[in-house]
This record gives sequence, C-alpha cells and structure tokens, in this order.
Amino acid sequence: MKNNKKIPVLRCCSKCGLPETYETIEFDEKDVCNICRSAEYKNESIDWVERKKLLDALIEKHRGKSDYDCIIPFSGGKDSTFQLFYLVKEYNIKPLVVRFNHGFMRETIQKNNERTFKKLGVDVIDFTPNWHTVKKLMFESFNRKTDFCWHCHTGIYSYPLRVALLHKVPLVFWGEAQADITGYYDHLNDEIEYEDDKKFNMLRTLGITAEDMHGMIDSPEDPVDLRDLIPYTFPPVKELIKLGYCSVPLGSFIPWDYKKNTEIIKRELGWEIDELEGVPTEINPHGEKIECFMQGTRDYIKFIKRGYSRVAQINAFDVRSNRLSTSEAKKLSEKYDGRKPPSLEIFLEYMGLSEEEFNKIVKGMAIPPYDHDFDAKGDAPRVWDFDQWYREDNRKK
Amino acid sequence: MIGIVDYGAGNLASVHNAFERIGEHSEIFEDSKLIDKYDRIVLPGVGSFSRAMHLLTSKGWKEAILNHINDKKPFLGICLGMQILFESGDEKGPCEGLGVIKGKVKLLNPSSYLKIPHVGWNNLLPSKEHPVMEGIKENIDFYFVHSYRCIPESKKVILSECDYGGKFVSSVSKDNVIGMQFHPEKSQPVGLKILKNFSNWDGKC
Amino acid sequence: MLKKRIIPVLLLKDKRMVKGKKFKDFKDTGEPKTAVRIYSAQDADELVFLDIDNNSSSLGNLIEIVKQASEECFMPLAAGGGISDINQVRELLKAGADKIVVNTSCVKNPSLIKEISKEFGEQCVIGSIDYKISNNLREVWIKSGKLNTNLDPLEHAKNLIKLGAGEILLNSIDRDGMMEGYDLEYADKVSREINVPLIVCGGAGNYMHLADLLNNTSISAAACASLFHFGDNNPIRARSYLKNLDIPMRMLK
Repeated sequence: MKNNKKIPVLRCCSKCGLPETYETIEFDEKDVCNICRSAEYKNESIDWVERKKLLDALIEKHRGKSDYDCIIPFSGGKDSTFQLFYLVKEYNIKPLVVRFNHGFMRETIQKNNERTFKKLGVDVIDFTPNWHTVKKLMFESFNRKTDFCWHCHTGIYSYPLRVALLHKVPLVFWGEAQADITGYYDHLNDEIEYEDDKKFNMLRTLGITAEDMHGMIDSPEDPVDLRDLIPYTFPPVKELIKLGYCSVPLGSFIPWDYKKNTEIIKRELGWEIDELEGVPTEINPHGEKIECFMQGTRDYIKFIKRGYSRVAQINAFDVRSNRLSTSEAKKLSEKYDGRKPPSLEIFLEYMGLSEEEFNKIVKGMAIPPYDHDFDAKGDAPRVWDFDQWYREDNRKK
Repeated sequence: MIGIVDYGAGNLASVHNAFERIGEHSEIFEDSKLIDKYDRIVLPGVGSFSRAMHLLTSKGWKEAILNHINDKKPFLGICLGMQILFESGDEKGPCEGLGVIKGKVKLLNPSSYLKIPHVGWNNLLPSKEHPVMEGIKENIDFYFVHSYRCIPESKKVILSECDYGGKFVSSVSKDNVIGMQFHPEKSQPVGLKILKNFSNWDGKC
Repeated sequence: MLKKRIIPVLLLKDKRMVKGKKFKDFKDTGEPKTAVRIYSAQDADELVFLDIDNNSSSLGNLIEIVKQASEECFMPLAAGGGISDINQVRELLKAGADKIVVNTSCVKNPSLIKEISKEFGEQCVIGSIDYKISNNLREVWIKSGKLNTNLDPLEHAKNLIKLGAGEILLNSIDRDGMMEGYDLEYADKVSREINVPLIVCGGAGNYMHLADLLNNTSISAAACASLFHFGDNNPIRARSYLKNLDIPMRMLK
C-alpha cells in the first residue's frame, strides 16, 4: 500500500470513533459525540415500559379498522425483518408488507424474504420502479450530491404511504429510530419520532424532491413523463392527515438492539447473513446492509468524501452497546475501510462514467478537512454472488 | 378566538399563519370597536414607535386595547408591539406609548463592534417562570430584529433578558399582559410552542 | 449571544430555481415551492428569494412563492429582484416577506431605500451589492451583473446605510458559483467599516468556507446557494459542523 500523502487527522468521538465529517455529529467538552449521548439516554433514561404501553394502545386503536391493521415497509434487511416478526408475533396483527425494490436485491435476501413471508403468513406487495427512470435518477443525484440512491431513499419512504392511502390503512410501522444513527433526532428529547413529511423533506430527499428532480432530468431530447416520478413523490399531506396517518418507527417504542434483533430472526425465521463488500464477515455477524449489491460502492463514496465508512459505522454501534472498545474499533476501521469495491465497475458501467470521472466528482464534494488519497488503500475482494448481479455497460465504446 | 390587531404596522400574515399551523383560530381585524369579540389579543409591530402610536391613536385602538387589558384578558405584544406597551419611546425625540408598563424604550447600545439592528438568532435568559414560557429551555434561540430595547422601571416585570454586548430585556409580563421583543411567529418550532402556550393561557401568572 | 446565520439564497427564473457561475450559465436547481418545504423542514435560519427574471409576470411569481413560504415556514423571509417602487414592496410584505432586498434601485433610485425604511423600518431593507474585480479594483455592478456603475462597494454600502438600509448583502460576482471560498479579506474589511449587519455571498462550496467567513467576529451571516444545490450538504449538517469549530450557531433543541 502506497501512502505518500499526509492525510489530515480527523477529530473523532472519544467513545465511538466516528469522525467530524459524519453528518450531524457534534462533540461535547469531553469529545463524546451527540449520538453517543443520545444512546446513553436511550439505555438509561427512557421509560420503555411507558413507551410499550403507547405501542399497545396504538395497535389496539387501529386493529381491525381497515383491510389491514398496519402497513410494514420492508427491505428484507435485519431491521425490517425484525420489525415484521415482532409485530406479527407480539401483537398477532394483520399487516400489509410493502417492499420497494431499489433494483439491487441479492439472492440471500430474496431467499430470506420468501422464508420470512411464508413462515409468518403475510400479504406482500412488491413494487419495482422503471429501470430507465432509475438510471436517470441515479445519474442526476450522483452528479449533484454524490449519492446515487435518491430513488431508493425517496421511494422507500413515499411508496408505502401511497399504499396506505390506497388501502386506507393509517398505521405504518418502520424500524429503527433515526436517533440511533444521527443527530437529526435525539433520544434526549424523549419523544416519539414520526416518519412524516417534515422528516422526509429534512433528511430523506437529499434536498431534492420529485418535483425538483423532474425539471432537472426532463429535456426536449430525452423527455421524462412526470408520472414516472410518482413513486418518489411524498403523497399529499392533506390526504394523509385526512386518513389520520400515524407513521412511526418501532424503535421509538421498544429499545432497538441490532444484535439481539438479528439473533432472534436467525433463530425464529432462519434468517441468514451474507457477505458484504469491504466488510469482513467476522465484523458483520448481524448482517448490516446485506440487502443491496451497490452497498460497497455507496460505502466507498462515503470514504472518499468523509474518511470513514461501513466498518467504522458498525463498530460505532458496537462501542455504544459495550461490545467493542474504542481502540479496537479504531484498529479495525483503519484496516478495512476505504478499499475499492468490485461493484464500482458495475456502477460505472450503469452510469457510463470512467473511474477518473467518478473520482473527480466524488472527491470534489469531500467534507473538509478530509483529503482522500486514492492510492492509500487497496481493493476489497469480490463477494460470492458478484457474478449474479445485473450488468449493463453504458460507457462509450 | 384570537384577535390580531391590524393597525397598519405589522407583519400580520405571519402571525395569523403561525396560529393556523398550531390549530388555533385567529382573525386579523381593523375595526377597534370589534375588540370585545376576542378573548385574547395579539399586537404585532414593525417599523417606528412614533408611527405605530400615531396609527393606534388615530384609529381608536389605544382605548380599545387598554379596555381589553383592564378586563384581564390575555394580551401579547410582539416586537414593536411590546415596545409600545411602555410609557415612552425615543426615536427622533420622545413619543408617548400606551403606558401599560412603566418604563421607556431606548436605542440598543451594545459594546463597540456589535451591529445595529440586532438581527438574527439569540437565546433568552429567563428571570422568572410563566405559563407562556413553559417547556422552553434556556439555550434555545429565537429570532430577533430590532434596534431599540425596553427599559422597565421595575425589575418585577422582566420575564427574560438576552445578551447582545450586554443584557437587555427580551420579554416582559405583567398580570395578563406579555410582551416579547423577539418574533415567536418567525422562530419555527420553539416559537410555535410559545404561541400555543399563549393560546391556552388564562391570563394569570 | 447572537449566533451566526447561514442563509440559503433561492434564485427564481421562469418559475424554477436556478444557479449559475459568475451570474451566467444557469442550471436548473428545482421547484421553489418544494425547496421551501425542504428548507423549512431543515429549520434554515432565514431564506432569501431573488427574482432574476425581472419582467412583468415574474414579480407575480415571486409574490406567490413568498406567500406559500409564509404559510408553510415560520422563519424570516427576504425577497427581491427588480424592486423599483414602494407598491411592489407593499405587496411583498403583505405576502409575508419580512425584508426586501434592493439592488439595482440602490443606484438608479436610492430614495426608494429611504421611502421603504421610513414606512416600514430600517430592518425591512437589505441593501444588496454585487461587485466584480477588474484592474484590481472592486466595482459595483447592477442589473444582475450586466452594468458597471464604477462605484466602490464599501462607499456604496455606507451610502445605503445612511439612506436607511438595515443590513447589507455583499455578493462577489467573480466567486459566484465557483465554490472556491468567499472573498474573505474584502468581506472582513467591509464588515469592520460598517455598523449594520453584513451578509456575505458568493463562493461557498464546503463547510470550511463558511467557517473561514464566520470565524471573523463581525460578519453576521453567510449566504449560499451552490453549497446546498451541488454538494451533499444541508443547513442542519452545516450548523453541526460549525458548532464543532466553536462558531456560535443556532440551537433548536
């Protein structure tokens, strides 16, 4: 590994190790971050007994009132699988499971989902948006934000609410609370998070709504039908309010513990973990982010911009739940994060970009003071199902 | 029902919209004779003290407002609407205010490098408790935009201060009257919370 | 203590938002009505709407956007773009704007500033100054950067303040949209010599640019557009980043 340039040392949380370039992170006088403090409050001061009572009441309020008791948006990852399992088993509810297919599903997840749905016995709606539109959206959001997952962020958080309106089901359950991940929300506020229009506009859209996006990608040479953006458009708030919608994360009512949750679904549903590009399986035994084959490229982009990535994030959760020490976390993150993933090649093909173009665009949006050295880290190995992933080469010959 | 006084010198739409947002019905009204229709009154205000007083006096508002206050009904003055509650203002020479609270209004005089007007987000330093300020934490910022400040004669009316190169009074309360130098209708969630508290306030403290 | 402000600027053209470089080559940056919702959800410190069309129907569009913004977000709103008479000011204020941004009229009809500040107060007027450097001299340009007035920006600012401007918005045309940082030294100089709040615009590309500007104790606010349109950035993240550098930023919770 070459390392000729001096990479600026980032200020990091003295507990979880996440750096100053992590979105919404704030350090206190002891250099402990706001997300760690929020986690402490979550573990020590929230009255989870009271919260569970609220959940009981919420479910009973809606039970039997519509075609379904609730909508459960579902990706098949560990969180959505747990939330489905928990609600069905604990409350014996009749949910409508809604899956928004971002286009990058993997075999293990598909098998997990089939097993989950058949074991639990639930109705499922699976929606796959137009790939031609998705490519345009990926390209535009990558160029403007160096985040090509706009279609996924907006689709996942809009589409299930459309289904809720269609079936007149006001109650929608999501998984973990945002307060577990970032500082946009904080457990210290001791309140239920709502997955409402404010949250959607605040952090799901990347600052671009479907109405914005249409104008950006529509052109006389290549017109885009406004209807193609419906799946990414948050439904009219007036209609949601009329429905009496209540869209909440389960993580506001029960103390979310990723590891415990995964052990439960492994045991009860035979849920299987998978390899993740760039992350050794021994660091990821609870299967974080295994539901998308573009995850490796997403994580790589994050590292180029911010100087940390998936291993650091997984370790941060483990440090906060006292399963890993700060120094061990740091060692592992430095060793494994930032390696170039094989999926990058697929992404470049989809987008018709060269690696030089990609590097320039991403580095151009780096968060200072991080200054990425493309020669500093090596390559991540391929994962087992790489050859199954959809290929489409749009680069100029 | 909340009445918002339209005397020709206030950003009324914002105040009205803010109440709508929190589910409280409010009406903007121009005829001072209708003041009894409302169980609580909001007096907004932007511009100059003397012009505001001229407009209030010429349209019969002075008497109407004083009657409302004497009837012990809740009253909220925002920004200039708080300043004119005092006895006198000071732009271009002294000018008489409503005299509901003893004291005067003078130009802000912060330490040297600080600019006037005081524009932007600043936090309140509470002096006493009040139902309208319930749930508002000390380090939260509110939106201010003003060049003048209120100097009450009695410290008892001071509800909160604010630091801008020295402390000045950022809100006052006296019986059923409350005045805020900052703009709750422009202070997003925390401002809307204060307006909600005001909507539920019985006028006692 | 008073906090520093980060102010997104929304340029309006043909009912869309746009952003250019050096006041040219405008690119579509979205639909203003939904942008308002986003900035409101992100609790932006303040918003500035500038109509760069300046034709007979564009004022109507501006008023409509301001009205919607006023109904949906409860933060300070400033609006401007081709403002030339007091009736336009009245309409914008009635629609819900708190401050009016006046640029070309500051030069063509300076008494308008006096008129606005007399009727509505000084805090209602933001004197906006666009400037370019040529032959090492900074000069004020008007009409969206098309006409050179040969005026010195600092002297011009002082005049506007005498006329009644409550704030000054200083915008570097050379740095506009380039995302290479603000014209720091000059901004610092202007801020030290005027006694009203200074909002600096033109050049922000990352949070460090904001930090470099706001670390100067006398500059009140950083205005930006490209930073949010062409970067993985938003006002919430910006505030957190700057707080970590001990820059006093707004506290919401």
